[in-house]
Amino acid sequence: MSSKLRWAGVVGAIVILTMVLAACAPAATPTPEVIVETVEVPVVETVEVPVPVGPERPITLDISFSGDPPTLDPSLATDTTSVWVDEQLFIGLTDLDSETMEAIPRLATSWDISADGTVFTFHLRDDVKWVHYDVLTDTIEEVGPVTAQDVVYGTLRTLDPRTASPYAYVLYVIKGGEALNTADLEELTEEELQALIDEVGAKALDDYTVEFTLEYAASYFPQIAYMWVMRAMPQATIEEFGEEWTWPGNMVSNGAYVLTEWSRGAMLRFKKNPYYYDADKAQIEEVVAPVVGESSTNFALYEAGEIDITGDPGWGVPLPDMDRVRADPVLSQELTILPRLCTYYYGFIHTKPPMDNVLVRKAFAAAIDRVALVENVTKGGQTPAHSFACPGIFGNAADDLTIGSYLLDIEEGKTKAQEWLAEAGYPNCEGLPEVTLMHNVSEAHALIAQAIQEMWRENLGCTVKIETMEWGAYLGMLQEDAPDADKPHIFRLGWCADYPDQQNWLGEVFHTTKSANRIKLGPAPDFDALLDEAVLEGDPAKRVELYNQAERLFIDEYMGVAPIYYYTSVNMFKPYVIEHPTNPSFGWHINDWKIDWEAKKAARGWE
Amino acid sequence: MLRYIVRRLLVSIPVLILLTFAVFALMRAIPGGPFDFAGDKSLPASVVANMERKYHLDEPLVKQYGRYLWDLLHLDMGPSMRERGRSVNDIVKDNFPVSFQLGVMSVALAVMIGIPMGIVAALKQNTWMDYLATFLAVIGVAIPALVLAPVLIWVVGVMLGWLPAALWGAERPFYLGFIPKPTPNFFRHAILPVVTLGTGFSAAIARLTRAALLQVIREDYIRTARAKGLRERVVVIRHALKNSLIPVVTIIGPLFAAVVTGTFVVEQMFAIPGMGKYFVTAISQRDYPVIMGVTLIYATLLVVANLMVDMTYAWLDPRIRYE
Repeated sequence: MSSKLRWAGVVGAIVILTMVLAACAPAATPTPEVIVETVEVPVVETVEVPVPVGPERPITLDISFSGDPPTLDPSLATDTTSVWVDEQLFIGLTDLDSETMEAIPRLATSWDISADGTVFTFHLRDDVKWVHYDVLTDTIEEVGPVTAQDVVYGTLRTLDPRTASPYAYVLYVIKGGEALNTADLEELTEEELQALIDEVGAKALDDYTVEFTLEYAASYFPQIAYMWVMRAMPQATIEEFGEEWTWPGNMVSNGAYVLTEWSRGAMLRFKKNPYYYDADKAQIEEVVAPVVGESSTNFALYEAGEIDITGDPGWGVPLPDMDRVRADPVLSQELTILPRLCTYYYGFIHTKPPMDNVLVRKAFAAAIDRVALVENVTKGGQTPAHSFACPGIFGNAADDLTIGSYLLDIEEGKTKAQEWLAEAGYPNCEGLPEVTLMHNVSEAHALIAQAIQEMWRENLGCTVKIETMEWGAYLGMLQEDAPDADKPHIFRLGWCADYPDQQNWLGEVFHTTKSANRIKLGPAPDFDALLDEAVLEGDPAKRVELYNQAERLFIDEYMGVAPIYYYTSVNMFKPYVIEHPTNPSFGWHINDWKIDWEAKKAARGWE
Repeated sequence: MLRYIVRRLLVSIPVLILLTFAVFALMRAIPGGPFDFAGDKSLPASVVANMERKYHLDEPLVKQYGRYLWDLLHLDMGPSMRERGRSVNDIVKDNFPVSFQLGVMSVALAVMIGIPMGIVAALKQNTWMDYLATFLAVIGVAIPALVLAPVLIWVVGVMLGWLPAALWGAERPFYLGFIPKPTPNFFRHAILPVVTLGTGFSAAIARLTRAALLQVIREDYIRTARAKGLRERVVVIRHALKNSLIPVVTIIGPLFAAVVTGTFVVEQMFAIPGMGKYFVTAISQRDYPVIMGVTLIYATLLVVANLMVDMTYAWLDPRIRYE
């Protein structure tokens, strides 16, 4: 027995020793990515292009994901990580200009609009190909051309109720879209469903021309055409593999990169698509992206030099590190703050006293020192917000400082707030029933809420109670049909653009009768009328004017919500990532990025 | 003995079924469903209805539970409602081996450090070795993984750069589904997480070993063994240790089950793709089949671990017999 235990002890010691020695061994020369070359001449129409072989390391970009993308199916993607990947894998009909957010050509080279503005005809490129990545041979092969029929298939698939797409509602602007998507599958026969599908205003006029008929003259339709839910999708592949069509090896895609590995929860890898029409301009050949769920760990990896960027699709710079980064001479050079198409706001439950009184709402909104909040609490270079839609959204009023001016200057805001509160019958907050502020569980939201709670105490004399709730339960509690008694008076939310147009912002969130919103403004017919008119208006200048008026009503008349700040994303790029064009919308095109490869190899100690 | 084992396993089946019922009832009692929202936005009602119909969530609860049990009988734990196109079996197959690797190495390290430390502390009681060992043990227990992990990542991974800061270096495919290739890259990535997890447990084990051994070496039969002239080492290891290991083994069983199914904090901090995060995220996402699946796996492992602990008792203490 003792000899057995001694034997076990010796083995244990040897194991530990081996582990330590193995780990301390000089890092073996990293095995370069061995790419197997196959030179086959198949009898089929596909042509395989062998990927370069040899000890040469391909030009690689190392990034990270903040979480595993829940899905890569364009019809089903809602998460920013999923959308980021889909941006590399599938080309949209249009792209969004990074400055103006206007639609520019991508798969579609141009589009015609009918006289009444309800019919859009897109002319497609003819040099975009579907490609397939073969996992076993590590080769990319061309499968066929991307045609108008693929675009129509993608659109119809998203609207099909059987797909159960969470984002189908952005396509309700297409004629017959809503009718198809909300159809009750239990009630319909096959023919009736097919009839509904045929009714949808998406038709392929020929192989490279798609015609969309809309429910009304929505001039922002080219921006919707950018969205992933409307992209060309490979019908044959989807019908063959069903829900598994997005696994590498099954997937057929047409973007600048193909997905070569997707270890769920662990790692994603991409390889340049040699058949992409601009492939020769794309410098980066491979993208390696582990999933790093913790933002501090992500930043540690960046500082240790194991990843090249901090930011989308991974975590941005963690808040506790912001001060240190700004003070550091090296890191502060790598810091880049970019706009993000989102607004952070505090909403009111308009049916719950005292928030049913617009003066009380305005008082609470004005008593927040947004400038101080952004400088001392959020520290991310955010812009204090005085209107709902952020810069970049078509029709936004962010630079019209006459709207909600008291929201940006705390001296003016404090004075006005106290006046309003007194006028409402609660001078110095006497007699005000207890007000509750709620937010979902998050350290960042907690910090902001506590700061604002203190501002209200100082500027209004009001003591507000803060409560928190888990995200899923929180959203459920805020639903329109949930009982008011469970709701707080003030709640925190954010809104991010689905597409950068006010219809998606004021229209789809706050229209008092047509939006699927949680906040009922209470009767606001003038506000609704403006939104209804703006949606159908063809002249962009007139639309901007209408939306401006709507924002003015929304803030100065009704104070529907108290906007707090317009989001930014706080990114860092290693100095050897010399070109990294970004876009406030989702997804950046990696094929436009450039690395100083020699500098990166030197920094990493490769070769 | 064999009959005992079989009987134990048979008894655990109704226990597990009762567990599925309890978990099912609890998780459906939480407000909200898996499809109510996508990120920040709540979804239109018709879309939610569509998706619920697809996953049979519109059926009566009893029918859903029955359907789940029936699938379970065929070893199918159902589809994930959040990760579309992926089943719970896939999730377990991909992530459990990684948690298992991390867990086994951590428990092994904890035992290999903890028991000798405890023995030394007990034998050299009230000397500097004892004080040092106890001091280290208290620190190990007091410092949570949540603190130790970022400190190690920063100091060893970033500032010193000796080891990779995060991620798991195991390359798939694994032998037999869970044994990784023993490359240097694997061990370099494994050291920090294993140390983080292992030191906390080793401290607990050391304290328990010390306490138990202190009691045992004062027993009469130890005096007899010494009086017979046996070497001290034989007395301790062959006679004393076996009896003092009983409390240690008692905690190692459930500890093994807990660690091997994935520890959320360490896996999250080191970006290790294990199963631990599903215990937490599946609940906030209301991914019902995943919640049931991971809980069931944990429970099964716990049952097996406890059974093995009871078997070990019989080996350690021959007076214990099962029939």
